[in-house]
Amino acid sequence: MARAAGSGTRTDVVLFAVSGFLSMLAIILPANLRDPAAAGLRRTVVAPLVALQRRAELSRNALLSHEAATTQRDSLALRAQSVYAVEAENARLRRLLGLGQRLRWGFIAAEALGDDERREDFTLKLTAGSDAGVRTFSPVVAPDGLVGMVHTVDPALSLAITWSNADFRASAMTVDGSAFGIVAAHLGSGADRYLLELRGVPFRNELRPGTMVVTSGLGGVYPEGIPVGTVLRELQTSEGWARTYLVRPAVLPSEVTSVMILRPDRVDAGVPGVWASSKASDSAARRVVTAADSIAADSARRLARRRAADSARTVAATRAAAPAAAARVADSARAPGVSPAPQRTAPPPPAAPARTDSAAAPVPQPTNPGAPRSDTTRPPSP
Amino acid sequence: MNVTATLRTAVAFTILVLLHFTLRPILDWRAPIDFLVIAALLVAVRVRPGMAAVLGCAMGLAADSLTPSAFGAGALALTAVAFGASWLKAVFFADNLFLNGFFFFLGKWSFDIVRLIAERRLRGVELVMEALVWSPLAAALTALAGVVLLIMLRPLLRTSTA
Repeated sequence: MARAAGSGTRTDVVLFAVSGFLSMLAIILPANLRDPAAAGLRRTVVAPLVALQRRAELSRNALLSHEAATTQRDSLALRAQSVYAVEAENARLRRLLGLGQRLRWGFIAAEALGDDERREDFTLKLTAGSDAGVRTFSPVVAPDGLVGMVHTVDPALSLAITWSNADFRASAMTVDGSAFGIVAAHLGSGADRYLLELRGVPFRNELRPGTMVVTSGLGGVYPEGIPVGTVLRELQTSEGWARTYLVRPAVLPSEVTSVMILRPDRVDAGVPGVWASSKASDSAARRVVTAADSIAADSARRLARRRAADSARTVAATRAAAPAAAARVADSARAPGVSPAPQRTAPPPPAAPARTDSAAAPVPQPTNPGAPRSDTTRPPSP
Repeated sequence: MNVTATLRTAVAFTILVLLHFTLRPILDWRAPIDFLVIAALLVAVRVRPGMAAVLGCAMGLAADSLTPSAFGAGALALTAVAFGASWLKAVFFADNLFLNGFFFFLGKWSFDIVRLIAERRLRGVELVMEALVWSPLAAALTALAGVVLLIMLRPLLRTSTA
């Protein structure tokens, strides 16, 4: 027993010595022998463990880079948000550039300094003054239309009242020149405060919603043809001799950041063709509306003719059936024991033709063919 | 050790080796937990000292293959630690977590000191700092992790330790 224990101990010592010797040998091995031995272990026994370690390190790097990636993504999102603002700014500046190219001469470009005060007193601070040639009562315009008028001029700064100012007035007309009036701010409450009124339109001039209103050139302050807005609806007023219309403005002063100030010589020369695209679009819209009205009137006329023909056919059939029915009743009365045949009525009129357009009114079905059909003999009112 | 106990010990050993090559790189602490030392000690107290020395040498050589410049240093250290742990198994068999943790601490610290001396990479103040500051810290963390793992693996190792 003791010998066995001692043998085991000696074996342990021998194994320990051998292991220690191998370890020492590995330490003192020259590099040309040590490296192949280490590489052999790495490529065989330790290879799966090395692969695990590599994946673990990749996972750790991914975890560490997650925060940086999130920060980078947030930065990109912020930058993307600013891209929309930059795009809008570019579009606005392009339109302003387009206006400048159409005007060609006689204008002064200025920036509208934004602050909260301008929304309260409906004025704009413009970054151009008398040094740049700005004069009082000069029109202030934007690519979409009229903004206001220069009220006070300093050497390097000028103040302009916008159309929303209570003191603003401008002579205006419809694009086709059929109606004239005076444009002023609509002194309503809430959102209506930012609308315009076209006052003093003669009672005979009824304007449709969507009609474009431009400056008329009367009065000498604003040249003819600057878009002011579009008619929304008529306002009910106590005046019986003129109409007043609510107008949606072409330009919102709160969104104006860059404007053009027209010089007096340019006002005298006018601005023909500068806002021609707006007029053209309005004319096109009016032409479309007119064409639609013509189509609807033509359809109504055709429907009226069709109804009149139906009525005539029905009356003729009723008159033809009446003598035959009287003869049958007389024959029945002469033959005893034979009950009289039931009285037959006129055949129903043919069904109305299918509607070919949506502008036609629905066709009423007659309930009593003998009754006069006043609706089919009179064309519908347009 | 019967077959069941051997299998259970092998499973625990495998888990610890896998933790050494997965969890340790993820943690990447300055004073890392050495799961290989825990695994070597766990097996060493269950086999004869000679076998423990051979196992320590093999594990050390495998681990050293990843650091060829110190090839053999870890093998020598782990051989000594495993052989010593197997001789001191009576202490380790005490069913006391504090004693087990202390044993892990001593084993890891001894391993580090032997390895630092054998690899001859650090000298002077750096060697002292590594041996007296970072190695004890790593040994403490390893002891703590060893105790936690012993608690977690107790259902697996209960039969063999009984």
